[in-house]
Amino acid sequence: MEVTFKDVSLSYDGSREILHHLNFTIPEGTLVSILGPSGCGKSTTLMMISGLLAPTSGKIFFGDKDVTKQDALARKVGMVFQNYALYPHLTVLENIMFPLKMAKVKKPERKKRALELAKLVHVEDQINKKPGALSGGQQQRVAIARALAKEPSLLLLDEPLSNLDARLRIEMREEIRRIQQETGVTTIFVTHDQDEALHISDHIMVLNNGDMQQFSSAETLYDNPSNLFVAKFIGEPVINTLEISDFQGELDQHVPADILKNAVSVGIRPEALQDHDSGSDTIATIETTVKEFEKYGREKNAQLDFHGKKLLTTEIENNLEKDQKLTLYLQKSGFYLFDQDGKRIFGGDQDAK
Amino acid sequence: MLNEKPTLKSTGKAFLYLLPMLLITVTFNIYPIIKSFMMSFYTKYDFFTDKVSKIGWDNFTYIFNDPDFHIAVKNTLIFVVGVVPLTVIISLVIALLLNRIKWLSGLFRTVYFLPFVTSTVAIAQVWHWIYNSDYGLLNYFLSLFGVNPISWLESPKYAMLSLIIMSIWKNLGFNIVLFLVGLNNINERYYQAAKIDGANSWHQFTNVTLPLLSPITFLVTINGVIGSFKAFDQIFALFNGNPGPSKSALTIVYYLYQKFYTEWKYGIAAASGVVLFFMILLVTVIQLSYSKKHVHY
Repeated sequence: MEVTFKDVSLSYDGSREILHHLNFTIPEGTLVSILGPSGCGKSTTLMMISGLLAPTSGKIFFGDKDVTKQDALARKVGMVFQNYALYPHLTVLENIMFPLKMAKVKKPERKKRALELAKLVHVEDQINKKPGALSGGQQQRVAIARALAKEPSLLLLDEPLSNLDARLRIEMREEIRRIQQETGVTTIFVTHDQDEALHISDHIMVLNNGDMQQFSSAETLYDNPSNLFVAKFIGEPVINTLEISDFQGELDQHVPADILKNAVSVGIRPEALQDHDSGSDTIATIETTVKEFEKYGREKNAQLDFHGKKLLTTEIENNLEKDQKLTLYLQKSGFYLFDQDGKRIFGGDQDAK
Repeated sequence: MLNEKPTLKSTGKAFLYLLPMLLITVTFNIYPIIKSFMMSFYTKYDFFTDKVSKIGWDNFTYIFNDPDFHIAVKNTLIFVVGVVPLTVIISLVIALLLNRIKWLSGLFRTVYFLPFVTSTVAIAQVWHWIYNSDYGLLNYFLSLFGVNPISWLESPKYAMLSLIIMSIWKNLGFNIVLFLVGLNNINERYYQAAKIDGANSWHQFTNVTLPLLSPITFLVTINGVIGSFKAFDQIFALFNGNPGPSKSALTIVYYLYQKFYTEWKYGIAAASGVVLFFMILLVTVIQLSYSKKHVHY
C-alpha cells in the first residue's frame, strides 16, 4: 500500500518538535529505508505510520484513505520491533498464530498459515520452542513471520538487525529482501546503518533532526547528495569536506564564477582524488603532500595534506612515500559545492555535460 | 575463582558464612518443627520436666474424633476458599487501576499499603466498630438500601463472613504492591506488539498482562493460602479472645492455641499442628504442579 505523509509534525510535550513538516510518498510494493543518525526521529516516523503514535499536525494517508485518526488496531500494519517483542510465554508457532487468533481465524486454518510462514522464514524446525530458546537471528525471523501473518499491506521494521552479529546481519538483510520480493509487501525499514540501507532498499529516506534531507534511490543519494549532511552521512570512507577558502584559485577556471561566489563548503569523495589524469573527467588538479600511506588487502589509502587540511583518497595506483609531493586530479563525479545552508549548488548530475 | 572445585576447605568456609543465619533458623524453625512432630506422638508427657512416659497414635485418634477439630478444619477451609481468590482478584483489579493513575499515584499507593503496616489488633478494633450491630458503619450503610441491622459479630451465621471481609481488606495492601511491581515489569513493547497484532484492550489483558503477571499471581496465591491456613491473630482480636460465636470462627490454629495454652494438652496441640502442616504441604504441592504448566517465567 502507498503511504503518504502530508505536512506531518510531531512533538511529545507540545513545545519541542521532534519531526518537522514531513512530506513524502512511499510507493506501493517497494522496500524503503529510513536512514539517519540516532535520535533523528526515524523510529518515531515508523511509529506514526504504525499508528502507535499520532501526529501533532498533518495527515497520513494509506492509499487514498486518511488514517490519521486511526490507531494501530485499525491500521492493521505488520511490524517488527527492534527487540522483536515476541511473546515470551508462547511458542514460536503460537507467536506467529497470534495475529490470526486476534483476527478470529479458525484454528486449523491458523495453524496452516503459521506453518507456511515458518517455512518462508526458515524456522519450521523451531516451532515448538519458546522465543527465549532461540538465537537472535531466529527470533528476528519469527518476528517477521508474525508481522506477515495477517497479510498486512504494509510491513514495518524498526532496526531489526541491530542486535545481530555482523555476519548474521548481512545474511538477514538478504533474507528480508528475499521475503519482501516474494510477498511483494510494501516494506519500510528503519536503520542507522547506511550499508544496510544501501544494500536492500529501492529508495532511501535520509532524516536528520526531524527533517527529511533526501528521499531517493541509493545511487542518487551517493552520486547526487542534495546537501552537505547527506554527502557526509552516506559513503564509506566519509567524504572529504573543505572550506572554499582552502582553495587558492584551483577551481576558478572550471567552476562558473557565480556559483563559486555562493559556495561555502567543498565535498570531495575519496575516490574522486586520483593520482593519474583521466582527461575530460578531470575538473581540477591540486598539489598535495603525502602524510600517510596505508595498504591492506586490495585497499590503498593515502592521507594527504592540502594547504594545511587533511584529505583522504582511495584511488592511488602507485605506492607512495611519506612527505612525497603528489599531484591529484580531481574528478567530476564526486566533487560537490555547497552553499552556506549546506545545499548542493554544484556537482553531480545537475552539472553533467 | 569462578571455576573453583568445591573442596573441604571451601565448603567449610561457606558454612562459616552461613553459620549466624543457620544458628537462628535451626533454633527457632528447624528444632521446633522436629520437636512438634515428636510431641504429636507423646501421649503421656510432663511438659515441665520434659519427661515422656508413653508415645503412640492416641493424639491423632483423639483429634480425628473431636467434633471441635472437625469444625476447625471445615472453618479453615471455608476461610481459605473465601479469602484467597477474592484477595487475588480484588488486589489485581486495584493494582491495574492504580497503575493507570498518573495523578497523586504515590498517595494512592500509600493509602492502599497502609493496612499491611498497621497492626492486626488495631485493624480488628476498627472493624469491631464497623461491624457493631447498633452503631456500626456497615449496618448504617446497608440501612440506606433498606437492609435490616445484621449482628455481624454475634451471629454464628455472619461471624465467618465478617472475618473473611476483614482479612481480605487486610491482605490487599501487600498484594497490590506485589502486583504493581509485576505490572511495571511488563515491557511496554509487548502491548505495542499486541496492538499491532490486532489485540483490543481485553485481549491485551488476557494475552499479555495475565500470562506475564503469572509469576506474581502465583506468589500471591501461595502466600495467601499459607497465610490463611494459619489464620489466628485476626480471629483472636476481632472476637475479643473467642473463636467467634458458637465456635463459628474456630480455625485449626485457634484449636491448636486452645489445646496448648488453655487446656495444656500439648500432644494434641502438636498433632493438630502436624495435620495443618500436611494440609498446607498438600495444597502447595498441588499449586506447584499446576504452576509448571500455567506460570510463565
